[in-house]
Order: sequence, then structure tokens, then C-alpha cells
Amino acid sequence: MLKNILFIGWAVFTALPAFAATDSGKTHLITLKAARLDSGQLAYQMLSHKIRDESGSEQNVTGRYAKEPSIPGPAIVMTEGDKAEVTLVHGIEGSNDPVSIHVHGVHYKIDSDGTMKILNKVADEAAFPGKPYTYKWTAAPGTAGAWPYHDHTFGNPKLGAEDKGLYGTLIVNPKSGQIPALIDGKIQQVDLKDIKREFILWMHETTFWGMEVNNIVNRQVPLWTNPTLGAREGELVRFHVIGLGTAFHTFHLHAHRWIQPGTTHILDTFNVGPIQRESFVVKAGEGVGPGHWHYHCHVLQHMQSGMMGAFMVVGSK
Amino acid sequence: MNAYKIKPVAGAIIMALASTTAGANTDDAILSVPGLMPSATLEMTDHPGLWFKDPVDGDALVVIKPGQAVQIKMSEETRSQHTITSLLWPVGAKDFPVDQDKPSDASITKGLDKPGLYVFTCKVHPYMFGAVIVDDPATEGLDIGTELNLVTGAKVPADSDIAKKLLRTFFVVTTPSLWRDYRKPTWDVSLPDIPLNIKGQTISLNALSMSMPNKLLTPKTPGVGEVWVDTQFEMIEGKKKPGTATRIDAADWKLVNKVKGVKEEMNHPHNMWPDKTYQHIYQTQWFDKRLLTFERASGKVTSNIEVGESPSHVLTRPEDDKLYVAINGGEQVVKMTGGAAPSAIKSINTGPNSSPHGHYITESGKYMVTPNALSGSVSVVDLDSETNTIIPTGGVIPIAVWGTPDGQRAYAANLLGTPPMLSSLTVIDIPGKKKLSDINLAADYDPVSGKITGEAYGLLPIQTPVSPDGKYVVTANTLSASITIVDTATNKVIKSLPCEAGCHGVHFGMKKGGGYYAYVASKFANDLIVVDMDKLEIAGRVLLADSKDTSILAHNGMGGQGVLPLPLVEHGYLKETLKLSGKKQLSPDVEKWLQALTKSQKGI
Repeated sequence: MLKNILFIGWAVFTALPAFAATDSGKTHLITLKAARLDSGQLAYQMLSHKIRDESGSEQNVTGRYAKEPSIPGPAIVMTEGDKAEVTLVHGIEGSNDPVSIHVHGVHYKIDSDGTMKILNKVADEAAFPGKPYTYKWTAAPGTAGAWPYHDHTFGNPKLGAEDKGLYGTLIVNPKSGQIPALIDGKIQQVDLKDIKREFILWMHETTFWGMEVNNIVNRQVPLWTNPTLGAREGELVRFHVIGLGTAFHTFHLHAHRWIQPGTTHILDTFNVGPIQRESFVVKAGEGVGPGHWHYHCHVLQHMQSGMMGAFMVVGSK
Repeated sequence: MNAYKIKPVAGAIIMALASTTAGANTDDAILSVPGLMPSATLEMTDHPGLWFKDPVDGDALVVIKPGQAVQIKMSEETRSQHTITSLLWPVGAKDFPVDQDKPSDASITKGLDKPGLYVFTCKVHPYMFGAVIVDDPATEGLDIGTELNLVTGAKVPADSDIAKKLLRTFFVVTTPSLWRDYRKPTWDVSLPDIPLNIKGQTISLNALSMSMPNKLLTPKTPGVGEVWVDTQFEMIEGKKKPGTATRIDAADWKLVNKVKGVKEEMNHPHNMWPDKTYQHIYQTQWFDKRLLTFERASGKVTSNIEVGESPSHVLTRPEDDKLYVAINGGEQVVKMTGGAAPSAIKSINTGPNSSPHGHYITESGKYMVTPNALSGSVSVVDLDSETNTIIPTGGVIPIAVWGTPDGQRAYAANLLGTPPMLSSLTVIDIPGKKKLSDINLAADYDPVSGKITGEAYGLLPIQTPVSPDGKYVVTANTLSASITIVDTATNKVIKSLPCEAGCHGVHFGMKKGGGYYAYVASKFANDLIVVDMDKLEIAGRVLLADSKDTSILAHNGMGGQGVLPLPLVEHGYLKETLKLSGKKQLSPDVEKWLQALTKSQKGI
């Protein structure tokens, strides 16, 4: 019986010619390190990111990342059709605990699950001191979106240490290069290349942890806790909001509206549970102009704990 | 806590900015302003002493520099929700205090500019302490500050007696090796030689060290029955969560056994109450969500079910033996069926953000009174109609309440006083559903000089039962380590007796031949104090530790909180048990206890 299932699975896998056709030929060669911060929290750090194309030539894009570990970790940006080989280096001083990367959204085989053998029945898929581990991801068609990646082993072989800061964001852009958005009061397709800034906000217990992916200068800026997000009036900016931990949140941004992906529903608030995520595009200050537009979780106790920040829209140049 | 604790200058914010402002950024492309990057963390756990744990070195204190930020967050090492609340902070600190209306899974990151001592607590579990010292490297010694704000609104000089008491208590509470172990000849609070800067003067932390002899004392007159004490901090082999219930035989003051709840992971057993046959004991698990039930005689666990966030105290209603469990992390008391496997009947709301802690039911069964820790009020619930009247008292963290045997008056202990009173009991007219007055428990104490001029010296009061003859209110005061006794005729403190660090739980038991003992348990010592209520004197100190039990891995006998002496002294309850006597419904040992009681003890 088992043999039959395996055989059918193999047949289906090998009979997918469409897969090859959608392969961009690009492979992201990434080395990340898991490190300990002075605060005792843990964080991922980008050591190297090169993109190899079909011809075998490599472009080094490491310069787009912060030079230090950060919470959230580096934002890895891929496009549908891309592949990635992500090597994790154990850099948590004073600990021999395995540390891993478990990614959401994209395709990978069981040996890239980022879990321990007690869960995956195959292997301890984690980095140990002096023994890096490499994960292989495929951003197959249908995987576009913002996805979490996080540790699944450190300190607890079933849970991992995402709660202590070992998490980051994977953004997979659609191959079409376009996404729907509510702009100037109409739902329309916008070109990804017109998006100037991407604001990543992780909602962890009662704190926002932020990261800006700035597409103007092609650079990432760790924004730490409850930051001020800055944009110019009229710019297209994309938000990626992701939950973490145990709490359920209602994300709200003042004076802006957007569409619920895949629908025509217009929102200015949505629910976010642990590891749930939502991305949306707004035109900064559309119809309302410049200002310090508040963003926050709308759960009262979370607001009392300071779960808030500003979307600062400044006048256009 | 020494020099190595001082965090390196947090360069990451600066570097994050620098890396974006350099080079390609001449066109001013990055407009975002990073928020605070924590330089230190306190993770909230349910490990005894380390309720706010620094993940770097595992203690409850972090030291940062002015302008740096601390993160305080829940961790997966606690099974209950908490508040993150400022207990004290330097006068003039920006955006202080920190607080929330309700417990939750909160995390905060706070930038601290003003040098000095910042202490945080949880309002639901108010002995969870964590501290941040913001130390200006330009001054000598770790900065404690000049003037400190207490959460009650009081401002005290940093060199005042109360500030020093809080500082010493902080180290004792958060350092299990400094707890008072009566198996050793002396209690030594040895603090390291770390220079502190208090009001510009440099003194060593070591100056707050102290030493005193440990002397157990067996009461000359035996008690009747047995005394159960929740030794809430004991660590037991085979379970991660702390706590046991320790049984003492009042006939010879020997330790009988401990109920450990290993298979059930019994977590912080806090308070107990029996059914009327004394066959079952109901046990709340305060840093958890569950109520456990065990057989008194065998210790066998018969039920362990979820009842709500941080269940604190449990009582029965005398007439029908139904359970009433205070949900300290919520705003309700859960009514349940009794017996081997209690199940919930309904939830009785006690008011918005009430967080009821140590409640009381009148012996007539007519009223239940709840001290509402987070809303500064007391609720009187008519148990027939289950309607609730909220009485705002002005008390800060009303934590426990008990009433006179006639059910007319209740006394509610306000952990942080009734401002401007530092320490108080609020007197409630139960049937009238109104506040009558406040009793100042610390009227004879000068918080600045530390001078004590009379008996009224009780700071941070907790359990506060009224004696079965209605004459006295006996209060355990956790900060002053004292027991205060109030005369109910005058509502004045008439006596103060020495207790232990973390003095916490009190209840009355029967003295052989007539009269009563008050039994007092303390969190940071492993003795049970026996107070003779006829003489208002300490009659004994009984050991709660068991050195022969090798399954006790740490904190042997420590964490004394709920106290349950059997038979119950309250006549309204006792009469229900006496009704069963001679009808083969009580075990032989219970029958023997009842036979030993005097008429007056039986309420005849």
C-alpha cells in the first residue's frame, strides 16, 4: 500500500511539466546566522545573499540588508518561479541547542522542514555549533504573499524560540509583477515596481516589531518596536502585517482604506492571529493628506500596553 | 547584579540609522524613525522568585544606561496572564507609571531616561517582582535615585526606611537562596558588596545584609485535627510547576504528608477548602487555570479541571456545599457542584475588571463578599438572587476579606493601602452594602525614619480572617513581616507580632481544651507560626520542610500561602459537619476531632 502511494506521488511529481516552465532560473543563495542580542533575545542576521541566474552568474545583494541581527529578521524577497538555498549558521554563543528555519508558504521537501526528527521522522533539520544546515525552498506558482519564517527547535525541540525573536519575513512577489489595490477610490492592478516602500509589522503580544524594505534605495531598515513609518504623500506603499505568539489582534490604520486580498471588501481594520498575515497597498495620504496617521491594535488592553505607532505621511517633494 | 550587568551601549539603533543615512540616502529616502530597541529583557515566568527573569543571567534585575530601553514580556514559561505594573519608580521619570486594566499576555518596551530604581509587579500576583536600575555611568555606584514614587501616589526619599525595606525585600523575594530555611541555625541575608548611589551618597548594598537565629518552637498545648498549608514554591521531582499541600497533625505538630500532584502538574496550589464531610479538599492553582480536588485521607487526586484564569480562593456555601471559586484573572466567581469531581454550574459576575481574590461567605450562606483586586472595590453578592453590589472602597489592590461570625461586618485588606494611608483594612457593612471606615494598619510607623511608636505596624497586608469569637481580626503583613491584631470592638490595632518575610496566609484552628490558634504561613520561610488567640502571643513555629523526602528538589517547605485547619472553626460551617456525626458519614479521625471539641468550639 505504502509503495503504491509513494509511486503515485512520484508519478504526479514527475508529471508536472508546467513546473519547469514557470521556473525563473533564479536561485537565491542565502546565508543567515542565528545570534543572541545584548538584551538576551535571539535574532536572525543576513550574512550573505547572492542571486544566481540561469547562466550561472551571481549578483551579490547582501548590501541591501542591515549589518546586525534584528527583530524581525531580514526580509527575504523572491518572485514566483525562484528557488532558494538558505544556509543557517548557529551563532548563539554559550548554547549547543539546535536552531532552525521553518518557512511558511513556499514549497520544500521534508528535509527542509526545519523541525527535529521527533516531529518529521527524517532528520534533525537544524544548525548546530560548527554545523550549518541548508534548506531548499521553491517559490512555486501560487505561493505569492508575505510569509513567516521562524525557528522550530531552539530550547524546545517541538516549539522552538520564535517567541524570543527568531522570526523573519519572506515576501514572494507574483510572477505577473502586478497586484490589486484600492487606489484613488478604485480597485486596480498596480505594478510592483511602483511600490516605493514596504512596511513589515509583526504583532507580537502587545508590541509591533517593524522593518522597512525601501525600494527607492533598495535597503532594509530594522525599525524595532512600535516605530514611526515614513512615506511621502502619494507614494504607493505596501504593508505586511503578521501575528506572533498567543494574542489575537485587530490591526487598524487611521485614515486609509484598502481591499481584502482576493475580494472587493474595503477595510481599515482586520483580525490577526498567531502567524496569520495580511498584505495590502495604500497610496500614502490618499484623500486625507499629510499627517501623523496613527496605527495600532484595537484591542483595548493592547493599546494600554502601548501597541501603537505612527504612519507619518509628509508632503510630496 | 554587578558591573557585568551593565549593558553595552545599545549601538544598534544608531547603526540602523547610520546604515540608512549613509551612502545612497542623500535623497532622504528613508523617512521612517525606528522605535526603541530593547537593551535588556525581563521575561515573566512562573518560577518561584524569578517571576521577571533576565534571560542573560537568570536573575530578576537588569541594569541599563539612561536612554536605553527595557522589554518586559510574557514567556511560554508562565501558564497564566499577568499585568505589567509599576510598583515604584524615580520621581520625574517620563511616561510613568506603566499599567493595564486587566491581565493579558502583554509585552512592553519602555525607554528609561531618569536614573534610579524601577520596580515592576503583576497586580494579580503582586509578589512577582522585577527591577530595572537605570544607572548613569558618570555617577559613583548604581543609581537608586533621590526620591521614589510609589504606585499609591506616595513619594518617599530613596534613603527612607520604606525604600530600603522594599529594596531588601526585593533581593530576598527574588533570590531563593536568601529565603529563611529553619533547618539551618541562622538566617543570613548576605547581600553582595555593590556600591549604590542613594540621594548622591554611595553606600554598599551589603549594608542591607542581616542575620538572625532560627528557632523552631513546639506549641505546648496541642491543637485539634490537622492543618493544611499550601507550600506553593516547593519544586518536586517529575513536575515542572511548583507547589504542594503540606499536612501537619495538630496533635503532635508533626508533618504527615505532602500532596504533590505530580501527574497533574499541580501548579502553584494557593488556597484550599473542604467539603462538609472532610473527604475532599478543593485546591486552587493560582498561576494556572485549574481547580484540583484530592481525597484528604489518601491524597489521591480525583479531579483537575479548568475553571478560569488564575483561580485564587475556593469556599463552599454551608447550606448546600456548593463551591465558589474566585477567578482572580477574570471578573467572576464560578459556582460549582461539590464532591470528587466538581463541575461548573454558572459564573457570577463581580464587576468590570474586578479580579476577585480572597473572598468570604457569611456563615448564614446569605452573602458572598469579594475583594476586587484590580478595581479598588468590594462586591457583596446576595447568594440567593446572585445579584452583585459593588462598593468602591478607594483601596489599592483589595486582596482578601473575611467577616464577623454574625455576618454583619467584613474586613478587606488593601495590599497597597487606601491613599494616603500606606496600609489599611476597609470595614464593610455587609447587609447594608456600604463602606464604614478604614483602619490604618501602619499608624505607628514612620516610613521615612522607620521609627515604630506603637503596635500599628503592618505593611502590605494580605489574609485577614476574623476570629471565630468575633473579637479579633488577624492580618498577615508581607512587607513588614508582622502579624497585626485588630480589636473589632474599637477597630484599632492592639497588637503586632513578628512574622516572616512574605507573611501571607492566616486561618484559625481549634486548640485542645478550648480556644483557638491562628496559623500563619509565609512565602519566603518554611515555618508555620502558631498564635495563641487567648494570649495573643506566638505559641509555636512548626517546620513545613521535610528533609527526608528526596523528591523535593528545591524550596523545601517554602511558599506558605493558603492555610486550612480542620475541623473548620466557623460555626455556620461546623454545624453542617456536626449534623453528620455518628451517621457513618464521617471518617473515624474526623469523628475523633469532633469529640475533642468543647461546647463553645462547637457553637452550642
